[in-house]
Amino acid sequence: MSGREFHPLVKQLLDGDITLAELPAELRAEGEEALALVGAVDRAPVSVPRVTWRVMAQLERRRQTRRMLPWLLAPALALAAALVLFLRPAAPPTNPSLVTVRFVLSAPDARAVSLAGTFNQWDSHATPLVRTGVSGVWTATVSLPPGQHQYVFVVDGVRWVPDPAAPAVDDGFGRRNSVLTL
Amino acid sequence: MSLLLALPLVVLAQQQGIAARLDGRVPATVAAVAESLGTAARARGLPIDPLIQKAIEGGAKGVPAERVSAALRLVVAQLDTAAAGLRAADVTPDTLAIAAGAFAITAGLNGGDVASIARSTSRADAALVVGLRVAGTLAALGVPPQQSADLVSATLASGRPATDLLALPGRVQAEMARGIPAAQAAAGLARAAAAAAAQGRHGPPPGRGQPPSHPTPPQHP
Repeated sequence: MSGREFHPLVKQLLDGDITLAELPAELRAEGEEALALVGAVDRAPVSVPRVTWRVMAQLERRRQTRRMLPWLLAPALALAAALVLFLRPAAPPTNPSLVTVRFVLSAPDARAVSLAGTFNQWDSHATPLVRTGVSGVWTATVSLPPGQHQYVFVVDGVRWVPDPAAPAVDDGFGRRNSVLTL
Repeated sequence: MSLLLALPLVVLAQQQGIAARLDGRVPATVAAVAESLGTAARARGLPIDPLIQKAIEGGAKGVPAERVSAALRLVVAQLDTAAAGLRAADVTPDTLAIAAGAFAITAGLNGGDVASIARSTSRADAALVVGLRVAGTLAALGVPPQQSADLVSATLASGRPATDLLALPGRVQAEMARGIPAAQAAAGLARAAAAAAAQGRHGPPPGRGQPPSHPTPPQHP
């Protein structure tokens, strides 16, 4: 499965900031496609092909008075075949300087998934992901301060798995840490 | 005199801080190495958080003590390299900038790249910190390190806000999703940033843009 990123104006369309008619003619088809895709997403929250690991991350950045809801349906990277990034309205954050990040991992066979990283002192029990529906997709929403964070997913308490959809760096121990820069 | 008396107490408190943060998380041998390295690093003006984080990470991942200790030494070396790069650019490095530079080095940049990025901005340290983090993230995405530094430098030089910097990895990823190699994607963005910087220096092309009707108020940090 391949993904794509929509034009910024199409993202504004998805955010409801502009209408289809306000899109330039050359973007109308893309806008219609995006709306159709979002409709499909609404009906079937995540539709993913059969792969071992698949990760989707969703970021939401709130600004002072205007909420940004950029929708991004991004491509698959490497073995993760499908990466879908999209944003949804969230409850107002208690601290406006925090950024709400949604981590998503498709792990149909996992019994438990959690998140360990610099933001939780690498505590593999601190940030569990919740299984959503029957598709084997696990999610967690975390508010993080702006900055550079490193993390991995911990599957079944034993397997430390980097996010295949995110940039990664050597962890100094022969493995990789995923990187999130906010 | 009181300062002299207080100094050992401060050092002791710092050591206890490192030990306290590692207590129960890492083997005693790792804690001892972290304390030793951390105390010396702090005396050189380096941040110790990356060191403590790496020790905790190693403990959490069940990495053997010898390997964690080696990783801690590498972290300190990266912090030293970052600080040297910043000083080479006549930037008085603060701990945030050093940590950001060390991350960039972890991702593949070198001290020269850090210096190059630091030279490209006369803005407040916050922009430099973001720039270094973004450069590291770009390199982690697969953009060649020097090209990552060039793209960030060009963006910083164009005077664009930090949000534009933070958007760079996503823009590169979007291009990669279309099948464009990371290096090529970054090169395109760097050209656009350079053009924006040039336009900022020379003003808009003829027929493009109008002078503001009122003087622009100075920007305050």
